[in-house]
Amino acid sequence: MVSVADLLTDGRLPGNYFAQDLYVRGSTELGLLENRRGDRLLAIPDALLQAIYSGLEKETGQASRLVLYNCGRWWGKNFYARFCEELADYYKQPLSSLSMAEFLQSLQQCWKTHGWGQIHLDITYRDRGFLGVEIWHSPFTATAPQGQKPAGDLERGILEIFFSQLTGRELRCAQTSCTAKGDDCNRFVLGLEKRLQPVEALVANGQAHQAIMQTLMQQG
Amino acid sequence: MTFKLDTLFDSPDKQYLNANDLSVLSQYVSSIPERMAVYRTLRDQEIAIMQPIADALQQQAGHPEPLVERSVRSGLMVLRYAAMAMLLDDDGFVEERLQGWLPEMVKAYETQAVDQQLFQLLMQQLAKVFSPAQLNLLKPSLEKAKSLMLNTRETVTLAGLL
Repeated sequence: MVSVADLLTDGRLPGNYFAQDLYVRGSTELGLLENRRGDRLLAIPDALLQAIYSGLEKETGQASRLVLYNCGRWWGKNFYARFCEELADYYKQPLSSLSMAEFLQSLQQCWKTHGWGQIHLDITYRDRGFLGVEIWHSPFTATAPQGQKPAGDLERGILEIFFSQLTGRELRCAQTSCTAKGDDCNRFVLGLEKRLQPVEALVANGQAHQAIMQTLMQQG
Repeated sequence: MTFKLDTLFDSPDKQYLNANDLSVLSQYVSSIPERMAVYRTLRDQEIAIMQPIADALQQQAGHPEPLVERSVRSGLMVLRYAAMAMLLDDDGFVEERLQGWLPEMVKAYETQAVDQQLFQLLMQQLAKVFSPAQLNLLKPSLEKAKSLMLNTRETVTLAGLL
């Protein structure tokens, strides 16, 4: 029998930890924006992102994508640790006993609340060992140089590390569509390096996301 | 915090509140005792209201225990947020806090069918506890929560990952 009293741990009913109006706070007198735990947040203007892209391009040329990707990985490592810590604190239980639905929904809400756009998982190709991620309204590719190549290298880095840590496997991430080259959103595919190898050439060829996925599925 | 009267309190740099604004404020203030009474009842009878619903969902409707547990948990959450929204006279509160959360949980655990019945039972149960006037205070936010939970339109689902 379901006992309603047992569903309430200490009378608490943990829910949407990252709800925007709860999560973003601040000690405005000191000039600080903070999250609900008191960790510092900051607002990055579009112009600064643009400046970073153009500065990198000027100083490092082709290497700028690699630099951004590595920054993304660094960011991802820290983000994963902090994200897990915050959730474990809030739910007052080890993360391993949190359900996957709550974990992933928290990730989506967290992404939104920070203003990084909407993140969605696409599990269509799960049986073939691939995980798809869509990011809509990304501020990072909106300010990136527009061109023929995907420019979501920061996001590629953060996703790669985040899901590697989550699954405990060394995953790679490839970007198959990008708003910087006129697509509707940023799409990424995560999988083991060996299986993901053909993607880079397909992307360089200008293939669309659907076509790339089809090719990946056919490789068996 | 989202608060319907925020717009009133936001405007000292514009002008003094006019007679209309003040009457909105005084209507709200005079409704507070009733709102607090409803709130107290919900707080103190949370379990008493919800336990018969849980029993009915499991015994009469025959839904499996994990689904009932999930649905009742959502129901408790809805009731708590609706209670707060009623206290603040702000049904936008429910939407803002639950939007990115509850609909996704409903989809992930596939509880729509149970939730539908839960809402019916909840309204019946609340009608036993509150007068029609009191119930009217709660209704807007409950309706909002219900439509949030039962119209889950987004296409991406997490269910397959579980």
